[in-house]
Amino acid sequence: MEHTKYLVVGSSHAALEAVTAIRMHDTEGSLTLLTRDTHLPYSPTVLPYVVSGRSAPDGIFLRDEKFFADNHVALKRGKALKALHTERNAAELADGSEIAYDKILLATGAAPAIPPIPGLDQVAYHVLRTLDDATKLNAAIKQSKQAVVMGAGLVGMHAAENLVKVGAKVTIVEMAKQLTDGYFDATAAGLIEKAFTDNGATILTGSRVVKLAPSAIGATLTLENGTTLEADLLLVATGVKPNMDYLAGSPVEHERGILVSDTMQTSVANVWSAGDCAQAKGFFSNAKVMNAILPDATEQGRIAGMAMAGDPGLKKYPGGVPLNTYHFFGRHAISVGSSKAPAGAEVVTRFDEANGRYLKVIFMEGRLLGIYGVNEFFDGGVMCQLILRRVDLSSVKERFVANPLAVGRELMSKLWR
Amino acid sequence: MTTATLETPSQAKPAKQKVILCEGNEAAALGVALARPDMVAVYPITPQSSLVEHVAKLIADGRMDADIVDAEGEHSVLSVLQGAALAGGRTYTATCGPGLAFMFEPYFRTSGMRLPIVMSIVTRDGITPQSVWGGHQDAMTVREVGWVQLYCETVQEVLDTTVMAFKIAEHHDVMLPVNVCLDGNYLSYGTSRVELPGQAEVDAFMGVKDVNWHVALDPLRPMAVDPLTGGSGGKGPSTFVRYRKGQCRGMQNSLRVIEEIHEEWAQRFGRRFAPLVEEYRLDGADYAIMTLGSMTGAAKDAIDEARDAGKRIGLIKLKTFSPFPVEALLKSLKNVQALGVVDRSVGFRWNCGPMYQETMGALYRLGRHIPSMSFIGGLAGADITVGHFHRVIEATEKLMTGPAPTEPVWLNEKD
Amino acid sequence: MGRSYNTIAFDAAKCDGCGDCMTACATAKVGVGDTARSRIQVVGSADDGFELALCRQCGDPKCVTVCPAGALTKDGTSGVIDWSAAKCVDCLLCTVGCAYAGIALDAGTGHVAKCDTCAGAPACVPACPHDALTYITTSRIYNEVGDWEDLFAPGLAGCQGCNTELLMRHTLRRVGPDTVLATPPGCVPGMGSVGFNGTTGTKVPVFHPLLTNTAAMLAGIKRQYKRVGREVTALAIAGDGGASDVGFQSLSGAAERNEQILFMVVDNEGYMNTGMQRSSCTPYGAWTSTTPIGEGSRGIPSQGKTQDAKNLPLIMVNHRCEYVATASTAYMEDLYDKLDKAIQASKVGFAYLHVYSPCTTGWRFPTDQNMEVARKAVETNFVMLWEYTPGEGLRFTRPVDDPLPVTEYLKAMGRFRHLSPDQISHIQGKVVENLAFVKQMVHRASV
Repeated sequence: MEHTKYLVVGSSHAALEAVTAIRMHDTEGSLTLLTRDTHLPYSPTVLPYVVSGRSAPDGIFLRDEKFFADNHVALKRGKALKALHTERNAAELADGSEIAYDKILLATGAAPAIPPIPGLDQVAYHVLRTLDDATKLNAAIKQSKQAVVMGAGLVGMHAAENLVKVGAKVTIVEMAKQLTDGYFDATAAGLIEKAFTDNGATILTGSRVVKLAPSAIGATLTLENGTTLEADLLLVATGVKPNMDYLAGSPVEHERGILVSDTMQTSVANVWSAGDCAQAKGFFSNAKVMNAILPDATEQGRIAGMAMAGDPGLKKYPGGVPLNTYHFFGRHAISVGSSKAPAGAEVVTRFDEANGRYLKVIFMEGRLLGIYGVNEFFDGGVMCQLILRRVDLSSVKERFVANPLAVGRELMSKLWR
Repeated sequence: MTTATLETPSQAKPAKQKVILCEGNEAAALGVALARPDMVAVYPITPQSSLVEHVAKLIADGRMDADIVDAEGEHSVLSVLQGAALAGGRTYTATCGPGLAFMFEPYFRTSGMRLPIVMSIVTRDGITPQSVWGGHQDAMTVREVGWVQLYCETVQEVLDTTVMAFKIAEHHDVMLPVNVCLDGNYLSYGTSRVELPGQAEVDAFMGVKDVNWHVALDPLRPMAVDPLTGGSGGKGPSTFVRYRKGQCRGMQNSLRVIEEIHEEWAQRFGRRFAPLVEEYRLDGADYAIMTLGSMTGAAKDAIDEARDAGKRIGLIKLKTFSPFPVEALLKSLKNVQALGVVDRSVGFRWNCGPMYQETMGALYRLGRHIPSMSFIGGLAGADITVGHFHRVIEATEKLMTGPAPTEPVWLNEKD
Repeated sequence: MGRSYNTIAFDAAKCDGCGDCMTACATAKVGVGDTARSRIQVVGSADDGFELALCRQCGDPKCVTVCPAGALTKDGTSGVIDWSAAKCVDCLLCTVGCAYAGIALDAGTGHVAKCDTCAGAPACVPACPHDALTYITTSRIYNEVGDWEDLFAPGLAGCQGCNTELLMRHTLRRVGPDTVLATPPGCVPGMGSVGFNGTTGTKVPVFHPLLTNTAAMLAGIKRQYKRVGREVTALAIAGDGGASDVGFQSLSGAAERNEQILFMVVDNEGYMNTGMQRSSCTPYGAWTSTTPIGEGSRGIPSQGKTQDAKNLPLIMVNHRCEYVATASTAYMEDLYDKLDKAIQASKVGFAYLHVYSPCTTGWRFPTDQNMEVARKAVETNFVMLWEYTPGEGLRFTRPVDDPLPVTEYLKAMGRFRHLSPDQISHIQGKVVENLAFVKQMVHRASV
């Protein structure tokens, strides 16, 4: 049986950071990277831009073959993990072969969550998680005249914008009361919504698709209120769920995701997990949460790699801080930290409706909990440090709210220059 | 011991040698050229100057393929040679008197590093009083530093010994620097008939050069040369002792090697010089005088005359002064009843000549008492004439019957 | 891995927040002097001091790791984090990744923008009127040096904070293995470079010459190798005492003969290895163990050395050596440049390199202050950095036109603590005089 010291499953941000971290400490130990994707590594986050045509499909790869050769990494593409036999430290692949490992990292990411709506399985629809999904969708939007996007999360909104820009009549259907729920508040969402409607899109928030059926042009969707929508292109973007089916029958504990410690270790020896499939401590709650965002995946991947290689420089995971950026119709929205104000929090907002600029800052006992803005640029990385370091902003609060860019940099220059 | 004559040519007939007329300094230069050194470093000083001028001219004329360094002083002269020797070069220089004194720091070190450098000392008296004339004071003053010192009697011997000195120095059982001492004025400027060995024959005699096999500054075999050694702890004491003991062993080995090489020289070139101690008309002698260097010529004339007059007198001449040839000397003294020792320098501590002082050390090992006395003459270029030697012979003869004086006899005091 | 890169350095103490750097950057990068669009941002205030928001071209760049589009990459050669307009999708995740505000949105283009060091000639640096910005280009040295073999044994026993080991290792790495190294008695062999009792501290042939004959012995070595057709560098790393005092004769002789030697003097201004005694290179007023401080007699107190230092490098200039230079470990780039030139010069003649080496032990300053003391010496013109070749004459390599008062240097160490105002003004006077003297030589070279 093939044996490797480090087996990394997955090929996106968490996996790649883990590889780098392992090689920083152990330049020799055998390392195998397994991915079910047939392509070189890429980021799911870039896929909306492949859909729009802005990114060339062959220009998005995060590493090339040379990287793996230079770092003595055996890259196995098109190989899916089927089952994990932790009792004998072996990974069973979809093709039936097995790889024995000393240490394994599960960075298998997530896949679109397909809602259980009657008739959905009877119609053709798109999802957007892989490069193949993206190239298919890119081809499809050029033909689309009337499209429906189910789900107003960031993936759905990105795709909807692309469809609007190619001239399709686009309807976005979202269960929640507002779009981009969980990232931005109603005011911000309103600005985003306005940008979409100004450009001709229809947004149906608080709406639920209850039935689907094939139609002449594609699909007919029936909403909760009885309205029907015709779609020649249907995109299901209602969220993601971790890829962890291979854990069936294994003792590795998992809930919504694979449960990991502050060093990304699972409940079972020699098994680590990081990225969108991992359920790790949150920064604000200490409870284990899903924080399926790119910056967190890199952080978790690095920690997992260091822990696997036994790097003494390892520092524990501080907990996930939500970090999101969103670019729409030439405007941008940045969200750092908590988007919800817990009890006792102080919320300060600043809204320049005429210019579409909005800022919301959430403080708790003088310390920053969250900040987000639309068309209000600040350094997200600096804000994140202010949160992680729990910097007391009491004395500069007014100035901070007035100009988070300048004051944030000023604080940086004193605190962690 | 054999006597110094041309009477015994070897069985294998030596090649015919060119005969020339030259002074001692030129003979030394010719000897150097025959030995084919890689480097000669020079600094002029009377009475050595014409020697280095001859060397420079030989090089300038293409008769000698060596690098010549006109250094800024004797200290650097010897230092340059140390460097060249450590890099594998055969090296030569010459000096005397104050130059030798100035050179003393690297001079002391040469034997410790076991570098087979050859240096002529065109002997000169010590200052002060200021003097530029001959005398053995310079060479005697540095006699205790681990150099082999050979004293020549004739211009021919200067030439031959200069060549032999390289082979002695580079002998793997020796690996020590060698001084060829030729008396300032008398030998340096004394012109004489000299037979000049052929280059091919000398090349065959010298063999393959290999001078830094034991210590080198060579990137191809890097080593630290002369790390700090000694102290009272660890390997220090024993390491230091082994260095010193090795030097002493090299000195003792040289006594054998000097004899072997003089014998080989005689075989190849037909001239046999006493390597360590020469006995002259010692057969049947009851008493003897001892000499060193060029004074021996006059001494031999005086001995001949005394013998003709019926005196039972003989002569012992030292060629090898360092290491002191104790065994050879004791052999020569076997039947001697009284001894007069003539020095061309002063031993200040013992109020006698240095050779006399050294000989007294050897006499202690003889196992019987010999009355002896010290004569000091020829200082600062003064002549020691046949007449002076007759005084020496008479005084030595008196030792057979009378008391031995504790004061030295200063031969030129009333000249 | 382990590469070093050129970088823009910022001295906060010199910054007055004028913003000229930002204007220069914006002008260079977007064609207008709109400081908001500058990629270098001065932040802070006159009260609290200024700082920069500027890309640090991190070795482990977070902006690169969080970029989903592969638009940011660290250039392995220049060290600059390059941004690809073609690949960027304007997602701004990089701005979330960077904790130093080194990459930010340029509202004028809608894209992120960051410092690219203007391809190695940053426009901000010359624009700073206060020299608060410097473009440090020494990285080349460290990268190259890292590839050369360290030819000294690990663990030489120098005093804490001494720069001589650094100097020795760098020099020998640069000169390479085909070298014979002479280290006359002093700190250099004292650290163990020639070893003890049969060991060695060096991977090249090394020896103790006498304190007096370093140059002569090396001359013999070099000549012999030349004679047999081998290219070997004859290198001395000597102290100032052995070179300027008792070893001066052989040094001068070898220089006059133009022997092909690279002679480096590590000038710590005294016999430090043997207990900090005065040498002719000890400066006026300095305490040493043979110029101690005391009440004196006949009413004349003993207040340190009563003579000025001998200027050995200028004396070497008057030998018309193939190359003569002064150098300091506070200016490694300058030193390396000179070392390279000296190596080349030593292939044709005598090359002399005089390196100032503050002695933590003998000069009495804290062990972490070596480079600072070395730098202050130059910034006050107490030490001048120049080079000389017979063809080009003498020129300053780091002229200091606006020197600090010499007290800034003197107060950095204990050996000058006792100085009287008169002594200080004597030293300041000598600094001025020495500068004028060297300037005259520069002038002569230029006519």
